[in-house]
Amino acid sequence: MSLRRYAARRLAIGLVQVLAVVTAVFLLVQALPGDAAVALAGDNPDPQRIAQIRAAMGLDRPPLERFGDWLGGLARGDFGVSLISGRPVAEFLHDGLGPTLVLAVLALVLLVPLAVLLGVLAALREGGPVDRVVTTVTVGLHSIPEFALAVVLIALFGVQLRWLPPTAVGADLLGQPAVLVLPLVVLVARPLCSISRLVRAGMIDALASDYVRHARRLGIGVTRVRFAHALPTALAPAVQQVARTTDWLLGGVIVVEAVFVVPGLGTILVDAVAGRDLPVVQGLAVVFAVTTVVVNLVADLLVFRLAPRSVAIA
Amino acid sequence: MRGVGWLLVLVPLALALVGPLFVPAELTRGAPFAENSSLGTDFVGRDVWHQVLAGGQTVVLVALLATVFSYVLGVPWGVLAAMTRLRIVDEVLMRPLDLLLAVPSLLVLILVAAIAGPGLVVLVGVVALVNFPDVARISRAAALEIAGRPALEAMRLQGETWWRTSIVYTGRSMLRTLAADLGVRLTGALYLVASASFLGVGVAPDAADWAVMVDRNRVGLFLQPWAVVVPALLIVALSVGLNLVFDRALRAEART
Repeated sequence: MSLRRYAARRLAIGLVQVLAVVTAVFLLVQALPGDAAVALAGDNPDPQRIAQIRAAMGLDRPPLERFGDWLGGLARGDFGVSLISGRPVAEFLHDGLGPTLVLAVLALVLLVPLAVLLGVLAALREGGPVDRVVTTVTVGLHSIPEFALAVVLIALFGVQLRWLPPTAVGADLLGQPAVLVLPLVVLVARPLCSISRLVRAGMIDALASDYVRHARRLGIGVTRVRFAHALPTALAPAVQQVARTTDWLLGGVIVVEAVFVVPGLGTILVDAVAGRDLPVVQGLAVVFAVTTVVVNLVADLLVFRLAPRSVAIA
Repeated sequence: MRGVGWLLVLVPLALALVGPLFVPAELTRGAPFAENSSLGTDFVGRDVWHQVLAGGQTVVLVALLATVFSYVLGVPWGVLAAMTRLRIVDEVLMRPLDLLLAVPSLLVLILVAAIAGPGLVVLVGVVALVNFPDVARISRAAALEIAGRPALEAMRLQGETWWRTSIVYTGRSMLRTLAADLGVRLTGALYLVASASFLGVGVAPDAADWAVMVDRNRVGLFLQPWAVVVPALLIVALSVGLNLVFDRALRAEART
């Protein structure tokens, strides 16, 4: 299959995926007990008042009709307006995207070179002290809950030693880089483990393969064989994991945002679910689904380039 | 190194399972975030040490139960998809799981928990639901490999029953793959349960639970750090220890 045909097919599947995710989220939010009208009516809900608010918001119309309207608006690039504040949903997304993007981009810039470096170092000295230390640390820290790690780091560096600010409350993220240090350490810790282990395993396999031995026999230098021939193949499995990480980072890292008080997409999501603000939740679901599809598409095309065989068979 | 992994697992595990027995019947209430003879008091003035003793049970049990349920649901699902001769059944079973994987797991958790209300049963269900697509995929891949083996072909030709070919033989051959996957699932479930409790999903806001303790006592971090640091360290120790123990077991298994 050619690269272009493969890309076109994946894009079509991706569109269906986005639609399905959005429908699923719509149904789930429909099933939430109480709606925005109840949330707005306050502590002393008067049934008549709730009915009034509901009619004003159009919540008394059949769900299918509302879903159709919303999809129609989406096709025109209109995400609708928040039920709670009346602000356009696009503004919410725009506000949250900034901090989320800052964290995601910086985390990836730190993560990828570091993970590749650690993985390659461990693979080149397989079984040696460097490998054993790197492996133990990456195995141990794998899937450690971020909030626990974050809180321990805050207690140590923010409260006890007072080297770094404990949270990012009200701070301009790019203006005060110090507030970014702890969140980035926490964000990078978990994916660093999985990615560097994949690079290590891929590199060990590649170095032991026939084509690398053949290249050595042809008289190509060690460094060139390692980095120009073995490394690209070794990176293929890691690319998928980087894609999953990117997806996770762009989905608003809810827990890290909550601990460090960063007003990103995750915080907006938690608030919107609590307030039953359906259009905002829906808009966020669209953004998350689209990023998932795009990121995975880019990753698959990259793998196709790095190791054409692996996709051609599947 | 062997001892470290076990030590890291056993201390929190013992606290979680035996701890509740040592909590005194009548709880003392004092001023919030104050000093006392042990670890001080928490955000409503309860003794932090008593809360630590009582708070591990939910985290550990919910993670264990959720892992068990994701296997109970995922393994038959994957085996069915792999063993069926109808391609459409395979597609119908596996395609929706791709969608589930495309939704961020914490989004699913927050939405489902908001619909079903708080409760440990809900938390077990949601974490199992989030984990089961991966289990189903791994089971399907493992069963597909087994289904193509000459041994199974021979059993079919001999006229062995469906029960013996598809369940007994396949199940036994899959055990090794599933056991290798168990450690990843268990730490994954622990991660989700702890993160969900931290976000206040599925548990009462004043519950005696390590993750809830970390969340609620954060405001007093400057006054009374133990109320936050002790439960957080216990969760970290449990997670790191589980990883190390399972990884060692896997490598020992690979060598034999």
